[in-house]
Amino acid sequence: MSDQTHMHVEHDIAPGDEEQHSVGARILGYVVGLALALLLTATSFFIAGTDLVWQPSIPVALIVLAIAQMGVHLVFFLHITTGPDNTNNVLALAFGLLVVFLVVGGTVWIMAHLNQNMPPMDQIMPMRN
Amino acid sequence: MPAVRTVEPMMLGKLDWSAIPFDQPIPLIAGAVVLVGILGVLAWVVLRGHLPYLWDEWITSVDHKRIGVMYILLASVMLLRGGSDAIMMRIQQAVAYQSQGYLPPEHYNQIFSAHGTIMIFFVAMPFVIGLMNLVVPLQLGVRDVAFPTLNSVGFWLTATGALLVNISLVVGEFARTGWLAFPPLSELSYSPGVGVDYYAWSLQISGVGTLVAGINLVTTVLKLRTRGMNYLRMPMFCWTTLASNLLIVAAFPILTATLAMLLLDRYLGFHFFTNEAGGNVMMFMNLIWAWGHPEVYILVLPAFGIFSEVVSTFSGKALFGYRSMVLATMAICIISFMVWLHHFFTMGAGPDVNAIFGIASMIIAVPTGVKIYNWLFTMYGGRIRFATPMLWAVGFMVTFIIGGLTGVLVAVPPADFMLHNSMFLVAHFHNVIIGGVLFGAFAGFEYWFPKAFGFRLDERWGKMAFWFTFLGFYVTFLPLYVAGMLGMTRRLQHYDVAAWRPWMLVAAVGMAVLTIGVICQITQLVVSIRNREALRDRTGDPWDGRSLEWATSSPPPVFNFAFSPDVRGEDAYWDMKALARKQSLEHEGPEYHDIEMPRNSPTGFVCAFFASIMGFALIWHIWWMVILGGIGAFATFVVFAWRDHDEYVIPAAEVARIDGINLEERRSLVSMAGGV
Amino acid sequence: MSMTATAGHAHADPHHIGIVVEHPGPAPKRIVTAYGFWVFLLSDIVMFSCFFAAYAVLAGQTAGGPSGSEIFEQRNVAIETVCLLLSSFTCGMASIAADTHNRLWFYLGMAVTCVLGLIFLAIEFNEFAGLVSRGYGPSRSAFLTAFFSLVGCHGLHVSAGVLWLLTMMAQVFAKGFRVDILRRMMCFALFWHALDIIWVAVFSVVYLLGSGA
Repeated sequence: MSDQTHMHVEHDIAPGDEEQHSVGARILGYVVGLALALLLTATSFFIAGTDLVWQPSIPVALIVLAIAQMGVHLVFFLHITTGPDNTNNVLALAFGLLVVFLVVGGTVWIMAHLNQNMPPMDQIMPMRN
Repeated sequence: MPAVRTVEPMMLGKLDWSAIPFDQPIPLIAGAVVLVGILGVLAWVVLRGHLPYLWDEWITSVDHKRIGVMYILLASVMLLRGGSDAIMMRIQQAVAYQSQGYLPPEHYNQIFSAHGTIMIFFVAMPFVIGLMNLVVPLQLGVRDVAFPTLNSVGFWLTATGALLVNISLVVGEFARTGWLAFPPLSELSYSPGVGVDYYAWSLQISGVGTLVAGINLVTTVLKLRTRGMNYLRMPMFCWTTLASNLLIVAAFPILTATLAMLLLDRYLGFHFFTNEAGGNVMMFMNLIWAWGHPEVYILVLPAFGIFSEVVSTFSGKALFGYRSMVLATMAICIISFMVWLHHFFTMGAGPDVNAIFGIASMIIAVPTGVKIYNWLFTMYGGRIRFATPMLWAVGFMVTFIIGGLTGVLVAVPPADFMLHNSMFLVAHFHNVIIGGVLFGAFAGFEYWFPKAFGFRLDERWGKMAFWFTFLGFYVTFLPLYVAGMLGMTRRLQHYDVAAWRPWMLVAAVGMAVLTIGVICQITQLVVSIRNREALRDRTGDPWDGRSLEWATSSPPPVFNFAFSPDVRGEDAYWDMKALARKQSLEHEGPEYHDIEMPRNSPTGFVCAFFASIMGFALIWHIWWMVILGGIGAFATFVVFAWRDHDEYVIPAAEVARIDGINLEERRSLVSMAGGV
Repeated sequence: MSMTATAGHAHADPHHIGIVVEHPGPAPKRIVTAYGFWVFLLSDIVMFSCFFAAYAVLAGQTAGGPSGSEIFEQRNVAIETVCLLLSSFTCGMASIAADTHNRLWFYLGMAVTCVLGLIFLAIEFNEFAGLVSRGYGPSRSAFLTAFFSLVGCHGLHVSAGVLWLLTMMAQVFAKGFRVDILRRMMCFALFWHALDIIWVAVFSVVYLLGSGA
C-alpha cells in the first residue's frame, strides 16, 4: 500500500538504564536524588515527632511524603522516565502498583468491614463466662 | 519404640517408623505400586543404556520445546494420580449412605485435599505452562524463551513440589484441610501432623517454579518477538499467555506470602491466623483468595487462547473480532483482581462490600461472553472440520457456558448464601475447570502434538476419548448440581439423607464413563506411537494452521527457524504464515548463518535436587539437612553464575543441512499440492 | 481467502493508514535480562504488599502486649534509614564505575555499600534481639507477629542483597567487566534500589505512623 511507510524504530531501554549521559551528569543525578531523599526523610521524621502541626494531618502528610520519596527513588535511582523508550517499564510498574493497591486497599477495607459486622472476640469471651 | 525415639529426634527430626502407614493398606499398596513403577522405569532406562540420552537431551535440556513436553508429561502423570483420588471419592460417596463406606474419615479428608491440590497445582498449571512453553516462542518466530536455564529451573522446582506431594502418600500423611488449608484447622493446634507442612512446602517450592515460568514468559512475549511482530499481530494464544503470566507474576507472590505466614504460625509460634493473641483467621481467606481468584484465570486464559487458535484453524477463517478478543483478554486480566471476595460472601461483610464484589463478579462474565460470541462468529460461515481438537473446542463452548451461567448465579450474594460450600458449588467449579481448562489442555495437546513430535495422533481413538469424557463429565457433574440443591454440602465422608443417594450413584456411573475416556486417551497415545510412520507429518503444517509455528518443520529443529521470519501485515495469522513459508522456501543455501543457542545446563535438576532435600527436611524438622540443602542450592547458583561459556554455535553448514532436509521434503509436497 | 491471494495482500492493513511502526525484532540481551528482573521485582513488591496488608490489619491487635509507640526507637530507625539511603547512592556510584570499567571505584563503591548494609542489619538485629529478650517476641501478639515478619522480610532481602553483592565483587575480581557480569550488576543495582523503596514504606507506615498511634 502506498499510503504506508514502514519505519524501523530503536529498541526500548532496560529498566535502570539511563539515556546516554556523561559520567558527571550521572553522578549529579544520584547526588540530587540523595539530597531530595534525605530532605524528604528528614521532613517525615520531623513531622512524625512534632506538635507544631495539626495532629490529624500527620498520617496524611507521612503517606504523601513517603509516596513523594518513592517517586524520587524511581526517577533518580531507577531512572524511570516518561519517555517512549520506557513505556514497557512504566506499564509493568503501573500494573504492579495497581495490584499492590488492590491487595492492600481491598484487604484493609474487607477486614475492617468484617470486624464491623462481628463483635470483637474479646467482648464475646466474657459474655460466655 | 521408645528406644529408637531417643536417638532419632537428634538426627531425623519428627521422622521415625511410625510415619509409614503400615496399618492403612490403600496408600501403602498405592505407594508400593508407584515405587515399583518408578524403579522399573529407572531400571529399564539404565539397563538399556538410555541414561546418557535422557540426561543430555531431556533432563539438562534448556530447549523450550523439550521443557514444555516435560511439563505436559508431569501434568499427565499427576492427572492419573488426581483422577485416582477422584474415583475413590466418588465410590466412597456412592457407598457411604448410612455407613462408613470403605475410606475412614482421616483418609478421605486427605484424599479430597490431595485431589484439589494436585489437580490445580500439578495438573492444570503444568499442563498450560507446558503448552505455553512449547508453542509461544514458535508463534512469536523466535529461537527460545527469554531465560532458557531459568525455564529449566522452573520446571524442575514444579516437579519437586509434585514429588513431595507423592512422598506424603507413603511417608507421613497429607493435609486433611481441603486444598486451601484454611486456618484455624490448618494451625498447629488442630493439625499437629506433617500433612499441612507437606502441603505448604510443596506449594512454596512449586510456586517459585511457577513464578519463574511467569517472569520468563512475560519477558518472552514483551521483549522477544520477531521482526514485524507488532503487538496487534500476535496470535491470540500469545495474548492470553501474556495476560495469564502477568497474573502469575502478580498473584503467586500473594500465595507465597500467605503460605509463609501460615508456616510462620506453625513453625515459630507467630499469630497471623491463630485464635489467640489477636490473630485473624479471616485474613487468611482474604489473602489466599486474592491469589485464588486470579489463579482461576491464570488457568483458563491460556485455554481461551488455545480455543481461539483451534476454532479459527478448523473453521478455515481468521479469528472473528481479533481486537475485541485482545481487549476482552486484558479486561479479564485486570478485573480478575477485583472479585476475590465472592469466595467468602458468607463470611460476614456487609451488603455494600458484598454487593460491589458481586457486581464485579458478574461484570467479568461480559468479556468472557464477548469471547464466546467471537468463537461462534468465527465458526459462522466457515468450512468447519470436526477434527479432535475442534471437538474439544465445541464441547468446551457448550460446557463452559453452563458452568459460566451457574457462576453468575453464585455471584449473587443471597444465592451464594444458600449454595456456599454445597455440592452445587463443587459442580460449578468442576464445570468451568474441566469444561474450560481440561478440555482446553486436551484440545491443545491434540492440536500441537504433531508439532512437538512430528506425527499426528490417531483420530478415531481421539474422538472416542472426547465423547466418553464429554458424556462422562455430564453424567458425573450434573447430578452434583441437584444434590447441592437438595442441600448436600461438600466433603462429606458419609451421609444419611436418602434423597441424595441416587444422585451419588449416577455420579459414580459418570465417573466410570470418564475413566473410559481417560483409557481411550492413553490408548490413543499408544496406538499413535505404534502407527507413527503412517501418521508422520512431513509438511510441518498438518492442520493448515494460521500462525508461525506451522511455518517450520515438525518437530522443529533445536533453533526453531533457520531464518528469523519477517512478519508484515496485520490480518493476523494467515498472511504471515504464508509469507514466512514462502520466505523459507525461497531461501537458497548460501545465505545460512551461524546460530548461537544456549548450552544445556544441569542447574535446574541440581537445584531441584537440593530443593527436594530441603523441603523434605523442613517438613520433618531435620534442621541439619535444611542447612545442607540451602548451602547446596546457593553453591549451585554460584557455580552456574561462574561458568564462562553459556552458548554454543551451530555452524551455518549444519543449519543448512538440517534445513535442507525438510526444505526438500516440503518443496516436493508443495509442488504436489499445486504451489503456495 | 486463498493462500495464493494472501501474499499480495501482505501489506494490506485496514486499521493503520499512515505510518506503521514495525517491531524491530527481539530485544538485546541487556534489555531482556533487566526487564525480566524488573518484573521479578514487581512480583516481590506484591509479596511485600501482603505483609503490609497483614500489618495494617493486625497493627491494633496487641493482645495486652506493647504497642508500637512503646517499643519503637526513632533514633535507631533514622540511622538505619540514612544507612540505606547512602548505600543506594554508593551502589549508584558502583554502577557508574562498572559501566566505565573502573575497578578501583567499583570495589570502593561496593565495599561501602556492603558496610552500610551490614550496619543496617546490625542495628535491626539488635532491635529484634532487644525486643525478644524483653519478652516482646513475635509470638507475644498479632501486632508483633506482623511487625517482625514485615521488617524481618525486608531484613532478609537486605541479607540476600549483601550475599549477592559479595558474589558480584568476587565475579568482577575473577572475570572483569564482562558483558554478562555487567548485566548482573545492573540487576543487583535494581534490587538494591528497590529494597530502599520498600524501606521508605516500612519506616513511614510501621515506625512513624506506628509511633504516633
